[in-house]
Amino acid sequence: MDEKKKVILKLENICQSYVVGDSVKDAAENVSLEVYDNEFLVILGPGHCGKTVLMNIIAGLERPIGGRVYLDGEEVHGSDKRIGMVFQSLNLMPWRTVMGNVEFGLEVAGVSKDKRRAIAQKYIDLVGLKGFEKSYPHELSGGMKQRVGIARAYTNNPQILLMDEPFGQLDAQTRYAMEEEVLRIWEQEKRTIIFVTNNIEEAVYLADRIVLLSNCPAKVKQVYDLSVLERPRNTTSPDFLRIRSEISDNTDLAL
Amino acid sequence: MEQKTVHMSAAELREQRLKVLYRILPIVSLLLLVALWLLASSGANSNFPTPQAVWERTVRLFTNPVKKLTLIGHSLVSLRRIGLALIFDWTAGIAFGVLLGWCPRARAFFGPLFNAFRAVPPLAWIPLITLWFGAGEFPKVLIVIFGSLASIVVNTQAGLSSVDKMYLDVGTVFNATPKQRLFKIAIPASLDAIFAGVRTSTSAAWMVVLAAEMLGADSGVGFLISRGMDSIDMPLVLTGMIAIGIVGAILAIITQIAERLICPWTRKRK
Repeated sequence: MDEKKKVILKLENICQSYVVGDSVKDAAENVSLEVYDNEFLVILGPGHCGKTVLMNIIAGLERPIGGRVYLDGEEVHGSDKRIGMVFQSLNLMPWRTVMGNVEFGLEVAGVSKDKRRAIAQKYIDLVGLKGFEKSYPHELSGGMKQRVGIARAYTNNPQILLMDEPFGQLDAQTRYAMEEEVLRIWEQEKRTIIFVTNNIEEAVYLADRIVLLSNCPAKVKQVYDLSVLERPRNTTSPDFLRIRSEISDNTDLAL
Repeated sequence: MEQKTVHMSAAELREQRLKVLYRILPIVSLLLLVALWLLASSGANSNFPTPQAVWERTVRLFTNPVKKLTLIGHSLVSLRRIGLALIFDWTAGIAFGVLLGWCPRARAFFGPLFNAFRAVPPLAWIPLITLWFGAGEFPKVLIVIFGSLASIVVNTQAGLSSVDKMYLDVGTVFNATPKQRLFKIAIPASLDAIFAGVRTSTSAAWMVVLAAEMLGADSGVGFLISRGMDSIDMPLVLTGMIAIGIVGAILAIITQIAERLICPWTRKRK
């Protein structure tokens, strides 16, 4: 294995289930996967197949019933500073301005005001929100809110960024624009990104590798290496369409 | 006021008309009230004072104070009592509400007692409080506290115990300490609920202080009303009632403005 393919995150036999009423519902079953340093990994799966559960486990928001998470070869329990998250539901704090939201992680980490302002400003500029520092979330559009979420996650300089269906609630046009934004930011500020989606086209457009999950409970069905597709990708090129339909045929239908 | 008259579109015109209508309606209701009042007091043997009599009584209250205090003086005495009570409510009450809302053990320990306490009307405490503390200012403030504390505690508790998990998740991802989760996430997220408590405790305090003053005091707006009742001076009673209404409305407006200043994010754009 060459230098570029250093494993930074490893999931080993992750299992998760919940008691729902009188029955036990399995959300994830023996999920094992490796994530390489600085790669753009997309976790693709139908409907509610437990993708968010996997994200929450990696982020330390919930404990798995079984299995282990290794970060840089060490087992991690709970949340870790090296892992940042862009939430599906945005989770911007309505009582904080754009600046207040973006600098939140640094504030919690005890970084001095001047310093955290400077760092937050850098990422606000990077996501294209210069001039909106003093706006409140309710004054922003859906795409702009998502940019705030991305800037907030980057600000604490995590090695791994989890993005849980960040564009699920955006309209198609904004979604395409944001996909390009994420790639641009990723090229500029190389990090490992784990991106969850149920949209096959989005997955093929963004990913270095795609991990395809089965329908509930989530199991790894197949891993696709997309490094053959050159960036920037053309969503109508024959190669793109071929891979897209190949994955599509292999994807379970969500009920 | 500047009004656009040139090239007003139909939509603007409609908007303008609605605005004028909304300004006029409150004045119409006030005029109707006065008309009704005139009608009710104009009967031959009506014991209901006319607006004029009330106005004259109000003016006389300034030149001829009752117990050395004018209407403003009595209002300020009442306001001072609720002010002292509210200072306690908004410090100890909010702190207690935060404790109940944030810490399930504290809720289990204090919850039942607190629910029993708030079911007792504040005026029921008057005999005991008078027995213990006599008739000075402190017992009156205490009664106001007993009558207004519950609303701020309950609202604060409700806010803290229903903080959306998604905000706390952000704290978890950034490794926030328990103290940071409380002060940087849970309390700010509950500020609008806390402010609802501030509003209701203010109006509750204003109600209770007047009732307490009517039962035994020699100053305050409530005292004016009971004095009017004892000396069959109905214009004085109405003067007191109108003062209560006006001061109450001003208090409501002040808390509303304070909320807008302190929580600018709750001001939704149209």
